[in-house]
Amino acid sequence: MNIAPSDIKSRPVYAPLQPDPAATRHWLVLETGAINRKTVDELIEMFRPVASSLQMWTVGSGNAASTALQVLPDLSALSQALRDRGPFHVSDRFYAQGTEPFLWSVAGEAGQVGFTPAQIRLAHTGSLRRRVWCTHCHGLTENVTTQVVACAGCGRHLLVRDHFSRRHAAFMGVMVDAEVPGERPAIEEVFP
Amino acid sequence: MITSSLKLSVTAIEDIAPSLRHVRLAAADGKPLPPTGTGAHVLLSLPGLDRVHRNAYSLINAPGSRHGYDIIVRRVPVSRGGSAAVHDRLTVGDVLEAQPPGNLFAPVRNAKHHLMIAGGIGITPFLSYLQDMGVRQVGCSLHVCCRESEKEVFNPWLPENANVKFHWDAEGHRLDIAALLARQPVGTHLYVCGPSDLNEAVLQAAKTAGWPENQVHTEHFGGASSTGKAFEVVLQKSGLRVSVGEDESLLEALERAGASPLCLCRGGACGVCVTRLLEGEPEHRDHYLSPEEKASGQSIMPCVSRARSPQLVLDL
Repeated sequence: MNIAPSDIKSRPVYAPLQPDPAATRHWLVLETGAINRKTVDELIEMFRPVASSLQMWTVGSGNAASTALQVLPDLSALSQALRDRGPFHVSDRFYAQGTEPFLWSVAGEAGQVGFTPAQIRLAHTGSLRRRVWCTHCHGLTENVTTQVVACAGCGRHLLVRDHFSRRHAAFMGVMVDAEVPGERPAIEEVFP
Repeated sequence: MITSSLKLSVTAIEDIAPSLRHVRLAAADGKPLPPTGTGAHVLLSLPGLDRVHRNAYSLINAPGSRHGYDIIVRRVPVSRGGSAAVHDRLTVGDVLEAQPPGNLFAPVRNAKHHLMIAGGIGITPFLSYLQDMGVRQVGCSLHVCCRESEKEVFNPWLPENANVKFHWDAEGHRLDIAALLARQPVGTHLYVCGPSDLNEAVLQAAKTAGWPENQVHTEHFGGASSTGKAFEVVLQKSGLRVSVGEDESLLEALERAGASPLCLCRGGACGVCVTRLLEGEPEHRDHYLSPEEKASGQSIMPCVSRARSPQLVLDL
């Protein structure tokens, strides 16, 4: 699934993954729930030239789409695995593929062990659902598929904007009925 | 950009090696100077035998210094006039015109480690790095490739416990660039300052070793000569014709004619003097224009670049 281009400059742009030939080690993290068998096979093929220096993980419960993938139950397991495998070098590259909230959570874990943005490559796959950051209570609302959503933190109805924050790994949500309380557009699913 | 110039008086001169001279400068009016920065340089106007030379020198002071500027100048065998002016004629009490410090080589503040490689006098910007508390705090190491006879010369400026290693051209003492780059932890930023062959070797090694481009920083000096075959330049707007001599840069010729663009580094790095080229084949020597821009032949950096054709036409 492709994300439509946006005029908003903060919107991340994703590209299909391919190994950086100059790198010496490659760390590839996939989202179990967002990746099908075909995608995994394509990625394995793509990374075959660097297979001897490649570690592939799939994060999340469910059946791994390939035996080449090492399964990690959740993000904290990934965090632990990264700590176990470090320290990392400037010549390492980190790759992730999955939904947008997953990509940025995983990029955050990579950042924790020192990877710089130039070492991290992200590719979007699967649902367009968003993580939304409320500008009022600073709470996060997960798995948002509609353009208006009730904030999980404060209950305000938020308009989900295209503004993306790498630091929060989330889209900005602003109160939609601040001017006239209760006057809200019909809720539509726009991020299937 | 460049608003006002400074008047600096020479307060001390010391020869620290046969071809290295330390010069201390202070404001001629005794007032505090604009503060220096880590990796900053100052552009000095040095009176030569036939004309004024404008050369950029790294400031070796601790960042934030306002009491004076310290520079170390290498005497180059074939001087265009700048280093000869400093080594042969400069005396204590002289007053020089200068531009306020600029900085094209500042440390990256979110680096997890700072790795510096210097070639000879290229150590000068790193002498300020080593005095920067932020750089010291995250961790830094400096590798200096120099003549064996000069490995003690910079000691007065090296802080205690600074992580500095000297390398020279002898068995067991050469710097293994590839091995050094291969073992650097994530988040390291690499800085290199030296003659162009060292810079090129390090940049190439970093590329080969998989370093992301934005973690590699370089400052060129000296070697990037701006002199060469004489040619003529036509200024389209003002209608002037200026001949550029063998021992002067295009920018210097333009300054002589009173038609120069704004400039800052005078070393082909900052991009301030970029000028539209209307006709003629340029010989690009800068580090600013992209390979595509160089190939298109529509822009030129007059501070270092010259002409392959007998004539250039500039949009000035």
